[in-house]
Amino acid sequence: MKGIDGAVYEIHGMAALAARDKWINRIHPLVKLLLTLGYIGAVVSFSRYDIIGLIGLAVYPVAGFLLGDLSLKEGCRRMRFVLPLVCLTGLPNLFLDRRQVLFWGVKVGAGLFSMLTLAGKGVLTVFASYILIATTSLDKLCYALRLLHVPRALVTQFMLTYRYVTVLLEEAGRMVQAYTLRAPGQKGIRFKVWGSLTGLLLLRGMDRAENVYQSMLLRGWGTDYGYQKGRVPLRVWDILYFLFWAGIIAVFSLCPVLPILGDLIGGILI
Amino acid sequence: MSHIRIDVDDLFFGYEKENDILKGISFHARESESVGIIGENGAGKSTLLKLLVGLYGQYRGCIRIEDIPVEKSTLSVIRSRIGYVFQDSESQLFMNTVYEDIAFAPRNYGLPEQEVEKRVERALKMTGAERLKEKQIYKLSGGEKKLAAIATVLSMTPDILLMDEPSGALDPQNRRNLIRILNSFGHLKVIASHDLDMVLDTCQRAVLMYRGRIVKDGPAEEILTDRELLEAHGLELPLCLQGRSGGLRKT
Ligand SMILES: Nc1ncnc2c1ncn2[C@@H]1O[C@H](COP(=O)(O)OP(=O)(O)OP(=O)(O)O)[C@@H](O)[C@H]1O
Ligand SMILES: [Mg+2]
Repeated sequence: MKGIDGAVYEIHGMAALAARDKWINRIHPLVKLLLTLGYIGAVVSFSRYDIIGLIGLAVYPVAGFLLGDLSLKEGCRRMRFVLPLVCLTGLPNLFLDRRQVLFWGVKVGAGLFSMLTLAGKGVLTVFASYILIATTSLDKLCYALRLLHVPRALVTQFMLTYRYVTVLLEEAGRMVQAYTLRAPGQKGIRFKVWGSLTGLLLLRGMDRAENVYQSMLLRGWGTDYGYQKGRVPLRVWDILYFLFWAGIIAVFSLCPVLPILGDLIGGILI
Repeated sequence: MSHIRIDVDDLFFGYEKENDILKGISFHARESESVGIIGENGAGKSTLLKLLVGLYGQYRGCIRIEDIPVEKSTLSVIRSRIGYVFQDSESQLFMNTVYEDIAFAPRNYGLPEQEVEKRVERALKMTGAERLKEKQIYKLSGGEKKLAAIATVLSMTPDILLMDEPSGALDPQNRRNLIRILNSFGHLKVIASHDLDMVLDTCQRAVLMYRGRIVKDGPAEEILTDRELLEAHGLELPLCLQGRSGGLRKT
């Protein structure tokens, strides 16, 4: 029960984050979507061994967390199922890539580098996506997808799935509550009734999803105005924000900024 | 505004084939009438209201709203003029916060954000739910959900108001508040309910349904005080009349 309620709570929690009135929440959704996609592209196509260069690219998510006033701890907690996975994807490299490289005069296995880089890439992309959904409401995201000419049917599907999941979870929570109240002193749910419970859950979930959909239709959903809901005008600020970050991402992924910076600072110190 | 009207002629409908739930309903209402549809559980009240907004397509007979037949091609026009409050307000609300939910319809109809905000404020004020404005939907109580659901419909400024069991889950004060809202709505309204006291307080006309048919249609005062008629069709006199007409009743 705790688990289900917790899941519902978490979904609503994300929506509440996205609905806040922060500066970065107000940035045009298309700008944020494009930047996130571009950023993920840049991160993924980064050289396998260039962990130092990758660290430079961390500036985007770091700035996102700061501008969005998001808690890093919260972010890690919410992404707790994905983060370990993406960190582990590079593990085989440690054993498969047996070459040696010189790093600041020390011989290190290349596998270690590629593993760390891969993990870093994973973490950065996860956080970039997290920042996008934590600062952009679902409606705005759908609106941006529509602007990119993603087919309408697909966007509707996406939106309804999201609503359906919440409805299903709430319904499940309610059924488990009703069950436990009438089966006091029993731990968990008896295996025998699992079948009927899940069947019922599906039916009730569909029923409620149908009702929700009807209610959306009655209030103008899917009319010609449809996806205008998340509609936001594009301001000068949005364009500047876009250019700024596009520039930063390009610079960090094309030139070795950190080594150059290091040399510069080193030069000054000497 | 003389075109505001509902015309239903010889309507048949069933959820399953060969099993009609509504059996030959004819019903007309217009202008600023207020009609209470009463009937026992399962009489077909909700089904009738849902057909009026075109939620089920495969009916036989004729339904016209403001002289427009209810068909697939006319649904968006018809729905923009009708406000419908579901019996189950749980289903009616689906956005994150109360504000977002009330703003859903005006935004969908392409109103500028300033106007949307005005409409939301007005709807909240009318329902006396201002303090719920920023609350998240899933944290509302049953009655609060009902108020929010009513507000989501008022923000559409509809010509016609359809309400399915609007007083369910409301406490006495909010119930009185609802009666006030209903009475201040000047256009055509149709209220399906077995809260006969509320129907008596808000409707001039009553339509009594029984097992998918209309058995009586007339002035609310007349129908709602006819004990024999009501009891023959699974209802009882409104509570406010029970004491007056029969004194202490033997059981
Ligand atoms: N989705 C459905 N599928 C099949 N039958 C249905 C469905 N919804 C309602 N019914 C049946 O249609 C009949 C009329 O239901 P309806 O909901 O219109 O009654 P009602 O008058 O609104 O009752 P109540 O006062 O309990 O709300 C009932 O017998 C019910 O079992
Ligand atoms: Mg009903």
